[in-house]
Amino acid sequence: MLEDIAPKKISLLEWSERFEKLTDDDIGRFTYYHNEEWGRYLQPPATFMVYGARQLKRLQFDNSLAALRMWGFVFNESERLFRARQCGKKIIATMGDLGTVPVIVMAFPGCTPFYPECIWWTPFFNESNVLLDTASELGAPEAACFSRAALGAFFKRAYFPVPDRIFASTGATCDDFTSTIQSIEHLGFDVTWFEVPFRRTYPDRIYDDAQFEAKFLKRTEDYLIKEYRRIWDIMAGLTGKENTDILIESIRKTNRLRALAREIMDETHNAETAPFPALELMTIEFGNLYGYADIDEWLSILENVRDTVQLRIERGTGIQPKNAVPIAWINPSADPFLLNFVEDLNLRVVDTEYVIRQALVQIDETAEPFRALARSFLHASLIGSTRQRIASILRAIDQGKIKGVLITNVLGGSHCAMETKLMERMIDSVPVLSLDVPPPPGITEQIKTRIEAFAEALHD
Amino acid sequence: MIERRDILTSRERFGLLVIDERPDRCNIMPLVTSHASTVANMSVKDYYTSGMSMARAQLAALEAYRHDAISLFSEVGIIAEAMGSVFEYPDNDLPVLKIPALTKDSLSEIPIPDPCTAKRLPVYLEAIDFIYTAVGDRVPILAYVPAPFTTGMMLSDPNEFLIQTIKAPQSIHDIMEISLQAAITFCYHIINAGGLPVIVDPLASSSVVSPQCYKQFALPYERRLIDYLHRYDLDIILHICGETAPILDLLPATNADLISVDKVDLGLVVNKVSDRIRVVGNYNTSKIAFSSPQVINDDIRAMVAEGMRSPKGYIVATGCEVPIMTPMENIKAFITAAKETAWYWV
Repeated sequence: MLEDIAPKKISLLEWSERFEKLTDDDIGRFTYYHNEEWGRYLQPPATFMVYGARQLKRLQFDNSLAALRMWGFVFNESERLFRARQCGKKIIATMGDLGTVPVIVMAFPGCTPFYPECIWWTPFFNESNVLLDTASELGAPEAACFSRAALGAFFKRAYFPVPDRIFASTGATCDDFTSTIQSIEHLGFDVTWFEVPFRRTYPDRIYDDAQFEAKFLKRTEDYLIKEYRRIWDIMAGLTGKENTDILIESIRKTNRLRALAREIMDETHNAETAPFPALELMTIEFGNLYGYADIDEWLSILENVRDTVQLRIERGTGIQPKNAVPIAWINPSADPFLLNFVEDLNLRVVDTEYVIRQALVQIDETAEPFRALARSFLHASLIGSTRQRIASILRAIDQGKIKGVLITNVLGGSHCAMETKLMERMIDSVPVLSLDVPPPPGITEQIKTRIEAFAEALHD
Repeated sequence: MIERRDILTSRERFGLLVIDERPDRCNIMPLVTSHASTVANMSVKDYYTSGMSMARAQLAALEAYRHDAISLFSEVGIIAEAMGSVFEYPDNDLPVLKIPALTKDSLSEIPIPDPCTAKRLPVYLEAIDFIYTAVGDRVPILAYVPAPFTTGMMLSDPNEFLIQTIKAPQSIHDIMEISLQAAITFCYHIINAGGLPVIVDPLASSSVVSPQCYKQFALPYERRLIDYLHRYDLDIILHICGETAPILDLLPATNADLISVDKVDLGLVVNKVSDRIRVVGNYNTSKIAFSSPQVINDDIRAMVAEGMRSPKGYIVATGCEVPIMTPMENIKAFITAAKETAWYWV
């Protein structure tokens, strides 16, 4: 349906030119919730720019049909959640745990999970402080993480419907986001809290006591299972469904999603030349959390992306030159423009620690389902030590696969404030650049200069 | 009564309306077009010949009135001029058609204009670009585009055009085709600048042509233009000023998402089509220019109560453009009354 052309990152205007060549049948082929009246989502970036996503005017996007599908679907999420409510689905907000509670929610037919905190991209895509300013007026000041945008969104009721249920994590989770959720609760929303424990394993062998470690892990698992069962019971009460077989089905579907995302990421990172851009890959990694509110369609999109990536690898084509310098990226970029900018400087993102590694882990389909969920969550990025967070990056550095590390801090993000200095100390064999991502309108010339200097050092 | 504080931005409000959700209150969009020049203290000619001036005027009006949309428009001849019709530019009035293109050129000589360079089309694009940067995250930017029928009549001697609808209908369809292509090209550039095209077809109203003529020559091309815009999943307002009661039943067939009406009983519109299409309208523009603020206040309260019965949603608006010399306090009275009464959220 789109001519077979060489991979390239293209502008919004170039995407519109390509979009003009699509037929009406092409556009009508893809729908969410299988609804042809309002479920079409194959739209170019210009559509979303007209509705206020101002940053799209200067971003660059992959030129494949798969990428077009992906962006159209992702930018449609807000409407999709309202449509879900209109057609009788229950909307469940899952906050803070990043990856596991949606597996439980998706087990219940007609229930759609979503992450309100993912609204933190909106101020950047819109180049707008509307949500952040609203959050500030409600008591979450500039010194809190950008995820406070969720507070503004709950207040406004214009970005997603009022959820039928809100599950929110506390404990070994992002402190400032937990405080944001408390503010949401103070607005009058009914929040069901659950606690995620700290992961007390000792890879450094400070305590060389395997028995202690195993015993402790068992206790941690048991605790999480209890919390997940409580969530299950609430969902069962909400929907009238009890059978845990449906949870096993949900786990299988989630595993398909995670395997696909992992396949795309691994193949992209290991290819001789990058077949897919970093911004799109980050979007895929975050989609792994819950399938952007329609997991079936998201799976279909990922298959499309996987096929595109494999075709490009087979042909030896990509979106960057072969001599791009491989780097690792720690913390999500917050500002999507950064990923474009870094690639323009011929740096290639080949490893990531976006605080959502737990969503890439396969869930054991043979174990008791709640135990399997608990075990998969114990890989979570934010519930262990700093060294655990960056262990795979350190290994890749030792193997010579990574030549530099970029850490994007979010002002107020507790993990940023606590961990960045430690990580800088731990990564001592390659250059590290850490920077604070400013709020919209975003990246300043000074920050660009710092990244350019970092890139120059790596190219030298 | 004390004005309630808005919860949503204009853009958030419009975004909810077009996905069949109730926003905090109705969007309030009086058609503040060339009138913006008086708010900015500039000549009307300056407004419609310079994109920067048009943008400055619209932003000044937005600041003064705090309504819910930018409305970029000067007059309905803008595409026809870019296709060869000759207009005069009076210093303090809107352009006036002097020589229709088809009275001097044959149809085959009429070009599809390039909106980046042809006559005043770039004025719109420059204005959109500037306004989008300034307030595009908070306010929808509506760019009014003449529909093919209206452009076709501005390319022709109007009397001759109407006669030919009876004597030589194919020649009218030929004009419609090229006018449609020109409108599509213009819309494409508007979208890529960040504006939302609004289709205007005043010369297709029942004040000018019969319902049969509308159905045969205007509606099919309105629909094709709207269908083109629906490829982008944009939500399209069709504005037909003048009399529309005789063609009300035909309007849903245009596929428009919102219908903006003028000289027709709003209750009739609500009763007839508002279960299928969102309604925009329709305060009398003579009244907003010449009535007292108190009369306007009373009228708007009654109009809002009527319009809010629309199940698909309602936008509080004037029936047509706010006249250029309308006193500012009258427009403020319109907006204040609407902001006090047009609430969906308790």
